[in-house]
Amino acid sequence: MKFGIFFELSVPRPFSTAIERQVYENALEQARLADALGFDWVWAVEHHFLEEYSHCSAPELVLTAVAMQTQRIRVGHGAVVCVPEMNHPIRVAERAATLDLLSGGRLELGTARSSTWTELGGFQVNPDETKKTWDEFVRALPVLWRREPVRWNGRCFSMPERSILPKPVQDPHPPLWVTVTSPGTELDAAERGIGCLGVSAASYREQERRTREYHRRIQSCNPVSSVVNDQVATLNFLYCHEDRKRAAELGMRFMGAFSVANSHLLWTREAFPTRAYQSLANLAPSASGSGATNPADGVALPEGLCIGDPKHCIEAIKRWESIGVNGVNFLLNGMEAVPQAAVLDSLRLFAREVMPQFEKERPPAAARPAAGAAQ
Amino acid sequence: MITGTARIAELQARRPKLAGFDAPAALLPRAEIMQALFEMPGSAREAIVPPGLHPTNPAALVLQAWRCPESPWGAFSLVQARAQTRSGVRPRGFVLGAACDNAAAAEALAAGFGFPAATAEVRWQRAYDTVRVDVFRGGEAILALEGADPEPLAAGDVQFSGTLNLADTPRGWRLVQLDPEIRATRSERLRPKLAAFSAAAWGDSRLDPYWPVSASITLADIELPQIRFVCRPEELAFTGTEKV
Repeated sequence: MKFGIFFELSVPRPFSTAIERQVYENALEQARLADALGFDWVWAVEHHFLEEYSHCSAPELVLTAVAMQTQRIRVGHGAVVCVPEMNHPIRVAERAATLDLLSGGRLELGTARSSTWTELGGFQVNPDETKKTWDEFVRALPVLWRREPVRWNGRCFSMPERSILPKPVQDPHPPLWVTVTSPGTELDAAERGIGCLGVSAASYREQERRTREYHRRIQSCNPVSSVVNDQVATLNFLYCHEDRKRAAELGMRFMGAFSVANSHLLWTREAFPTRAYQSLANLAPSASGSGATNPADGVALPEGLCIGDPKHCIEAIKRWESIGVNGVNFLLNGMEAVPQAAVLDSLRLFAREVMPQFEKERPPAAARPAAGAAQ
Repeated sequence: MITGTARIAELQARRPKLAGFDAPAALLPRAEIMQALFEMPGSAREAIVPPGLHPTNPAALVLQAWRCPESPWGAFSLVQARAQTRSGVRPRGFVLGAACDNAAAAEALAAGFGFPAATAEVRWQRAYDTVRVDVFRGGEAILALEGADPEPLAAGDVQFSGTLNLADTPRGWRLVQLDPEIRATRSERLRPKLAAFSAAAWGDSRLDPYWPVSASITLADIELPQIRFVCRPEELAFTGTEKV
């Protein structure tokens, strides 16, 4: 089992440079501590225009800062939005290789396509196209990283022969992942031989179903690269305290603030009818409903939250482990609802009491070669 | 957290009075629903909704027109202008203004469900590749909404949010929650165009649907259920919701 921390960088109102800077400084301090405590990953999202919910629009810079202040922990894009209006694939390849170089081969590259109209509309992206462009990105990136020189004739971009420089440190390249929000994306991951990076709350039963199907499908995948990343990571909330009541009080406060901010985003399916987005994303409840929907009800609490004392956290993670999850990534705060000192204490307690209960897994799956894989 | 800042007194004009919460459910078979979403500037997003609601980011105005060939009150068309909001964490359309071309239906929808439905002339035009809804009041065109170039979707691909109507109820001023059940049998996506829009006629002169996003036309049976929840308009739904 691996453990990671996951940055959305949510910022409470009223906005000011001071509070934004504080959120960033706090995140960097959390990353340094996580590195020292033996956590495996630190991930940063890419979001644009999402007031309060996430002010993390330039994750490559955040992760570079993390890499420069840490020695061992792996740094992960969670994830790069793979639509050309936001990120040209050549620039993604160049930036990722640079970060892999600067971090000494510690990069993980998550891919995504964005789920809010707030973001897609801001960049004038056609939602019908994002799954297609994502697919081309994940097939192109291994080629752009490895082939020298390289040319590409594709649907969303083409280029004559050029050298894309620098090249990544990791051989053959940083592990690839896709963020999984909508049911079915785990199958897209499996078919391409890339890792499954959960970013939405799923029940034990739903996660077990997804994980089982992912592992079944990936056995016969047509990988996009010469290596297969067959890891499944899930997202969780962490607030660990010896006093279970105190843990619930603070933990639920930040989780609630984060969930409410999440629900205020304008979801793609809500704004733009399309077959390409079959569900409202993340934590949002359904848009339409019967008369039974009580507006006083919040978002249903996900199962297996790591908000509690160490014993509770161990039990929850054992359950995740039993259904085949390889890693758990934790949101540590939301809207700065938890004081930074308490966040750091929670991390320390988790590392001291919970992490030793779980064995480390094999090295990053990037090392696993794919049979008959594309180069 | 973004929350509304409108004063309830400012929202009360032209709002209906509900005698009770016992209006029977109503079935509107084979209705056509044209829905269009436009972004609005953020400058007035909080000011147009009550403190109990959260506007979305970005602010969005939804225009929703129903053409109902059959109802307990006869055939009618209803056109709503709705601010897209969240009540608690749930998507809801806060109805800013509404127009109805059948006086009996307007009265029933107002008195039974809280729609601020004023009578108006509503004209529908469907050509090969366009759908157009025009609304006239006092001879003035207060809405001309057009959708062009239909593209087929799965019937359930169009999302319809529940409805919140501000009304004077036996419990005082409340947001009356109505969750019409929409059983769609056909849906098409359209390219939206707003040829005429009189903001004041739809409830607030600050409405500015400046950025077209999407439109759709759906064939569906609509069921208006009985009211089950109301919310205090000045209190967040987490604590301000009442079961009726």
